[in-house]
Amino acid sequence: MSKIEEVKARLEAGKAKLVPALVQEALDEGSEAKDILQAMIDSMGVVGDQFSKGEIFVPEMLMAAKAMTKGVDVLRPLLVGDTSSSKGTCIIGTVQGDLHDIGKNLVAMMIESAGFDVVDLGVDVSPAKFIEAIKESKNVTIVGCSGLLTTTMTAMKETVQTIKASGLTGFRVIVGGAPVTQEYANEIGADGFAPDAGSAAVKAVELVKSL
Amino acid sequence: MLTKRQNLMETIKGGNPDRFVNQYEFLNLIMEAPMDLPLAPAPGTEVKNKWGITFRWPEDQIGSFPVHDEEHKALKDITKWKESVKAPSVFYTDEEWAAAIAHANSVDRNDEFVTAFCAPGIFEMTHHLMGIEDALMALYEEPEAMQELIDYVVEYELAYAKEVIAHIHPDALFHHDDWGSQISTLISPAMFEEFFLPAYKIVYGFWKDNGVELIVHHSDSYAATFVPFMIEMRIDIWQGAMTTNNVPELIKKYGGKISFMGDIDSGKVDHPSWSRGEIAKYVEIACKECGKLYFIPNLSQGLNIASFPGVYETTSEEIDRMSKEMF
Repeated sequence: MSKIEEVKARLEAGKAKLVPALVQEALDEGSEAKDILQAMIDSMGVVGDQFSKGEIFVPEMLMAAKAMTKGVDVLRPLLVGDTSSSKGTCIIGTVQGDLHDIGKNLVAMMIESAGFDVVDLGVDVSPAKFIEAIKESKNVTIVGCSGLLTTTMTAMKETVQTIKASGLTGFRVIVGGAPVTQEYANEIGADGFAPDAGSAAVKAVELVKSL
Repeated sequence: MLTKRQNLMETIKGGNPDRFVNQYEFLNLIMEAPMDLPLAPAPGTEVKNKWGITFRWPEDQIGSFPVHDEEHKALKDITKWKESVKAPSVFYTDEEWAAAIAHANSVDRNDEFVTAFCAPGIFEMTHHLMGIEDALMALYEEPEAMQELIDYVVEYELAYAKEVIAHIHPDALFHHDDWGSQISTLISPAMFEEFFLPAYKIVYGFWKDNGVELIVHHSDSYAATFVPFMIEMRIDIWQGAMTTNNVPELIKKYGGKISFMGDIDSGKVDHPSWSRGEIAKYVEIACKECGKLYFIPNLSQGLNIASFPGVYETTSEEIDRMSKEMF
């Protein structure tokens, strides 16, 4: 097994303590930082897919994401100025009136692992705050709106429609959360919907390609 | 006509109930019992409970949440839990118990179950202390320390149970612990079996071995894959069973060993623009698909209330309507 393959295997197994040393060993053997990064992004895709299928659960995904973060920390000094792997910035938050953050945090982690820079606005985020963050951040390509409560679906609609009516462009809006469906996403004018964190990252990448 | 208690027993024992058990009617909850409830009391309030966990209920929200920023997180490092976590006393004065005892004594136990209430559960306590992400990762990264913390919470629950049993002699226990999201459990069955099944076998075994006839466990989530564990830990009724679990299938598979209370998802009917027609539709689906045995039609909410006025009562009326139609 090559060192990069070993990095992938350990990352998919959530071995956060082992991955940084393996990444360093892969570099020492002559692998390019961007190739190692891409391999880790691919691995997180595998992890997301396993989560979507119910083969792994939240702790396993958290551990894989932690392994990814620690691996990227080793690569970071070598990637400064290299934007070839970046898919832009994702602004994400739970919509106004809703304090649930577990799902939103998982989506943020998976989207970051897919190669995005993530600006996490937290919970109970007003439409105005989303707009402000889009204006202030560089190269925004995805805006993610999360909501768990049936009662906050109207806030999600208002958020999406405010963003769409703002005149700001260059990004796609993705929505998700337990009560959200593809039909609801279509109805409120969102560009994409994903039922879980794994498929949210896949959908974000797909939407960015359509920009 | 059977009493509420008799009707419940007929339903969960596979006998001859004469109507649907209507939501929480059989549980007479003794909420006056002194306890350290983990909730902020009203919108706009914030409390720090005796475990050191801060709960905040912002204005315009429908409930309170534990606060887990760095300033408020009660347990920042699981390996140092013994320095950070101190369980509150379970001992209360006679005066503090008086209202609970009076309430329990006023209940006709032939008709209803005098019911003790416990929340949060063992799993919830770990993530209330640490935040959900830290708690879930600690199960992998520091399993020994997590096991110690879980054992400590179990000791607290047993000590509190002993006091409750001594003071109000409950017939039933209603115990909360949410184990999943709407579509999945938060942890794998294997991890649950390793960490939480043994803990609950001890806790629920203690209540059962000390005169409590009925264990009702609340988890308004998906948890179908945990049902064999629920049976093993001696749960009689799983309350909060959401439609995502395919309750009719669970009844076919496990009816007789455990009963299911729910199948009317609060999220679908308990909202500002609720209507009797919508509630009637979901009640009818639940009653017709789940049937008369091993099933109690109920909103998935973890108490005999709803978020919006009128929803709980209307649901009860519609269940009565289905009883007249089906019995």
